[in-house]
Amino acid sequence: MRYVLGKVGLFLVTLWAAVTLNFVLPRLMPGSPVDAALGRLAQSGRPVTEAERRAVEIQLGLPDTNPFVQYWEYWRSLVRLQFGRSYSFPTETVAQTIGKALPWTLVLVGVTTVVAFIIGTLLGIYAGWRRNRLPDASVTIGSTLLGAFPPFWLGLLALYVLAFQLDWFPIKGGYVPGATPNLSPTFLGDAAWHSVLPAATLALTSLSGWVFGMRNNMINTLGEDYVVFAEANGLRSRTVALLYAARNALLPNVTAFGLTLGGVIGGSVLVEGVFSYPGLGNLLFIAVSNRDYPLMQALFLAITVSMLVAIFLVDLLYFRLDPRVRR
Amino acid sequence: MTTITPSMKPSAPPGPPATASVPVAIGPLRFLGRALGTLWANGKARIGLVILAANIIIALFAPLLAPHSPTSTDFKPYSDPSASNWFGTTGNGQDVFSQMLYGARVSLLVGLLAGAAATVFAVVVGLIAGYRPGVVDDLLSFVTNLTLVLPGLPLMIVLAAYLPSRSVWTIVLVVAFTGWAYGARVIRSQAKTLRTREFVSASLLAGERLPRVVFREILPNMTSLVAGSFFGAATAAVMAEASLEFLGLGNPSTVSWGTILYYAQQQNALLTGQWVLVFAPGLAIALLATSFTLINFGIDALSNPRLREK
Amino acid sequence: MRRTRLAQSTILAAAAALTMGMVAACHSTPSTTGGGTLTIQGDSGNPTLVENFNPFASGHLNGVNLIYEPLEIPSPIDGTYTEYLATGHTFTDPKTLVYTIRQGVKWSDGKDFTPDDVVFTFTMLRDHPGMDGSGIWQQVSDVSANADTVTFTFKAANVPFASTVAQVPIVPQHLWSAMADPSKDPNTSPVGTGPFALDSFAPTQYTLKKYAGYWQADKIAPDEVDFPAQASNQATNQLDVSSGKFDWAYNFIPDVQNTYVSRDPAHNSYWFPPGGTIGLFLNLTKAPYNNVDFRQGVSLSLDRTAVATKAVNGYLDQASMSGLILPNLKQWLDPSLPNQGLITENPAEAQAAFARAGYTMNSGKLVGPDGKQVTMSISMPGNFSDWVAGATEVVNQLAAVGISAKLDLPEYAQYYQGISNGTFDAAFGGYGGTGNPYTDFNNALASGFATPVGTATGNNFQRFKDPAVDQALATLASATDQAAQQQATYALEQVMYNQVPIVLLYYGGSWGLFSTKNFTGWPSADNPYTLPTTYNNALLTVLTHITKASTP
Repeated sequence: MRYVLGKVGLFLVTLWAAVTLNFVLPRLMPGSPVDAALGRLAQSGRPVTEAERRAVEIQLGLPDTNPFVQYWEYWRSLVRLQFGRSYSFPTETVAQTIGKALPWTLVLVGVTTVVAFIIGTLLGIYAGWRRNRLPDASVTIGSTLLGAFPPFWLGLLALYVLAFQLDWFPIKGGYVPGATPNLSPTFLGDAAWHSVLPAATLALTSLSGWVFGMRNNMINTLGEDYVVFAEANGLRSRTVALLYAARNALLPNVTAFGLTLGGVIGGSVLVEGVFSYPGLGNLLFIAVSNRDYPLMQALFLAITVSMLVAIFLVDLLYFRLDPRVRR
Repeated sequence: MTTITPSMKPSAPPGPPATASVPVAIGPLRFLGRALGTLWANGKARIGLVILAANIIIALFAPLLAPHSPTSTDFKPYSDPSASNWFGTTGNGQDVFSQMLYGARVSLLVGLLAGAAATVFAVVVGLIAGYRPGVVDDLLSFVTNLTLVLPGLPLMIVLAAYLPSRSVWTIVLVVAFTGWAYGARVIRSQAKTLRTREFVSASLLAGERLPRVVFREILPNMTSLVAGSFFGAATAAVMAEASLEFLGLGNPSTVSWGTILYYAQQQNALLTGQWVLVFAPGLAIALLATSFTLINFGIDALSNPRLREK
Repeated sequence: MRRTRLAQSTILAAAAALTMGMVAACHSTPSTTGGGTLTIQGDSGNPTLVENFNPFASGHLNGVNLIYEPLEIPSPIDGTYTEYLATGHTFTDPKTLVYTIRQGVKWSDGKDFTPDDVVFTFTMLRDHPGMDGSGIWQQVSDVSANADTVTFTFKAANVPFASTVAQVPIVPQHLWSAMADPSKDPNTSPVGTGPFALDSFAPTQYTLKKYAGYWQADKIAPDEVDFPAQASNQATNQLDVSSGKFDWAYNFIPDVQNTYVSRDPAHNSYWFPPGGTIGLFLNLTKAPYNNVDFRQGVSLSLDRTAVATKAVNGYLDQASMSGLILPNLKQWLDPSLPNQGLITENPAEAQAAFARAGYTMNSGKLVGPDGKQVTMSISMPGNFSDWVAGATEVVNQLAAVGISAKLDLPEYAQYYQGISNGTFDAAFGGYGGTGNPYTDFNNALASGFATPVGTATGNNFQRFKDPAVDQALATLASATDQAAQQQATYALEQVMYNQVPIVLLYYGGSWGLFSTKNFTGWPSADNPYTLPTTYNNALLTVLTHITKASTP
């Protein structure tokens, strides 16, 4: 029970620190959102009139400059889930904007992580069991190389070859234009279809973490006395690998979940951009380039909190799985 | 960054770090030589060392190897590979092959510098935390763990956008600032273990001052951990540099693999059939990052005899 | 042209089937086989659209241009007027502008459109300054209706301002007067006089359907207009365009012949007319840029064609130093300007001009009276890749005449702060493109915009000040007949050409991409009736010109 209480306490303190950091960081950024909004007008090569500029200023408003008042207001609005109005999406609240994007990223990142975990762990077991032989070398070097490919780069190639040239997959978006998100089988099928390329890109580039973690755990476990003993007693090596070593090596690998998740979320920012996927990552980049304080603040917070919650849940799961920490 | 974690993970599987090596009794040069020998004996590390050496040679001798100036815009834009332009030209009429050679400089520089900066930071934080139990350790460990659970790339994007100037140094700074935490955690737990060892207690009892003990007795015993976190951070730096520049958060007038990709995307090189413009820099980034990771396999083998190849 | 309801629903069913087929078979074919639907590359989705049909709110959707109509639309190319809700305008004196309002027009909800709606719209802009994006009430002091006319009284003579007044979209009083805050209302059930009404809105696409009661309904070919959202990713949009998803797109695309035209040579065409001018702005409050000889030296040092090739693929030409976009405004061009105001690179003359300013070449460096090499920091947003490409070329060319120039590439916000506060050294920027020479010159040269360094301005960033030029601008503003306007314009062209307030480089493009598969009659070099922009009232102009293709 102390374990759980400790984890809850740590979770809360970390949450507070992350929320405060999230408050401080965006405010350090120079430039004003009004000017960025005007940038879109000027990009056509047409000058922006002073009148247009003033109109944008009156509409979008300027952030308050007193940091203490802002911090107080920040917490007050946070508690009520009011993140103010986004400059990029002036007609809806930031909570609405994020609410629409969150499910896309949660599903994309969630499914990707589970798939990568399963495939990566299996490959890791295999590589660890057959270590220093050809399968091990090809699995480790192969996934090292895959993991070293910038995710956006792999995404670009997939987009161009599989979506544009071969026309097998859609070029952009999370669903066909004109559809309204709902839970009908037609829509879900369509959405799944649109997520194949981004998910595959993310899964391939995040595989290596699981492979290495599992491989090293396997090697360490295979060297443990009880495994050596089992093997010496004449048990078949496959049985030893799967029944004794893999089971015990799997547990520590679960704790790597939080760290790997950070990588997948980072990758999703770039990959969502490449595929114009309607999730948080794509929004974050739009927010940063528009100097959209409320949206950026809320997005960074949403991403961080999602991560903290996921890691917390994994810690609890670990508590359920590992009898040693339960005491 | 997908690979920040994976590339660092082999150096320290979860749980207490693997067996610490015996106290060093030989000179630093011989130690380095022996370490390189062990690395070279490891097949994966050998491949990594060869790739890294090739990159260093290309970066050092880029002016001699490159057939053209990387910034000259004198060529016909969007041309396919030819005898004069082996990799074709960019939409601005620059020679892609020359840009690739010069680009190695920036990627290496960012990788090695950011890796070094993050490692120095990690060592300092890790050692202090490991040797000052109590409030200092609690505070530093908390900051370390907080940095670890923050989403890396989004944090880097926000930071990169915050820094007013757009340059390679911005990226080095941002990557160093976000990439030190894993190394610090590993070094801290190793330092905690070593603190209680006899040879350390003996030195302290013999009247040696703490900093001297830390740097002369303890740090040498962590060489593989430090090297591991260096190459881990360097891998992350190479990838982060490419990502930030691809997103347009770098300096677009620098010649680097990241900016080649940025312009390839801006000028839609895939649509115009300029395959090489996208393919070459991506592959180069992947190879450099892979070389760091492969070297790390060898370093793991140094610190963990179980991982050593027979 | 008009279809029965049955036929229409068949098309919809067919389109739906096609969409389903797309999902199932994953094969997308251009879906406008019915012929009644026009697909226009829509607004930037970012990543999804926000429903906003308020033409006065920032972030409104482009489709409002087909729902609401203005009084008149001046051609963005040569300024000639096409009448919409007005049937003409006259200046009874240079300060009084009278519009005759069209009779018999009905709002799409069946109510009559009246001159009172016009007065209401303009009064609303006065009461909500945030909505007055075109600055009407900085020039106008009063607006009133009388029978079928609406009269605008100007604070000072400003004949060219009629083009701004004419383009304000008119909204219905009976609905807008009930809005709590019309400046922020997203107006999700728009009622207008225009040829289309909102049919459906989804976050990734909205659809307009033809308004059967439109006063010139016979001129409108499509039954339906689809606006699928653009991605925030430019490269993706180019792939979309290239794969033939639109009848009309507005998108820069590299190597257009290969990437667009040749993918369907029978139907695909493009027209990239100049829509503005990109120039090198030199801060006139600083030495040596305050010296006209030095500026001429810079101007003569540049090979503008090479700059245009790098920046815009050579789709557009070098700009005329007359300050007019050619050929769009060629009827205003002063015939006494040599070579239509085009400057050719001339190193010898450049060095002579630098020498007059006191700068000489010394072992490859242009050195000033203080013995130091001339340096120049050219600022522009780092993500405007076309500007950066052009500016890189400018830096190389300036290096050849001994000037050590470098690029400063901040975020747009910082760039704009710099130019607007006058704290820049040199900068890339946009000039002109309003279709109206007076507005172009006034924005660039009026001393009223030349605020002191540190005080923001929205125009005349280089801070040009000359009482004689202000006088010339006032003369043009009050000229009501063609000959006087012509003479006053010539005088301003001479100022641009001789005093080089901005080193104009090349024309910025207007990227029109068309398919004649379903509709024909798109604007083109042979028939330049408007610019091919999909984000302003050119939409309305184009929709009244296109006809259905004979063979789908």
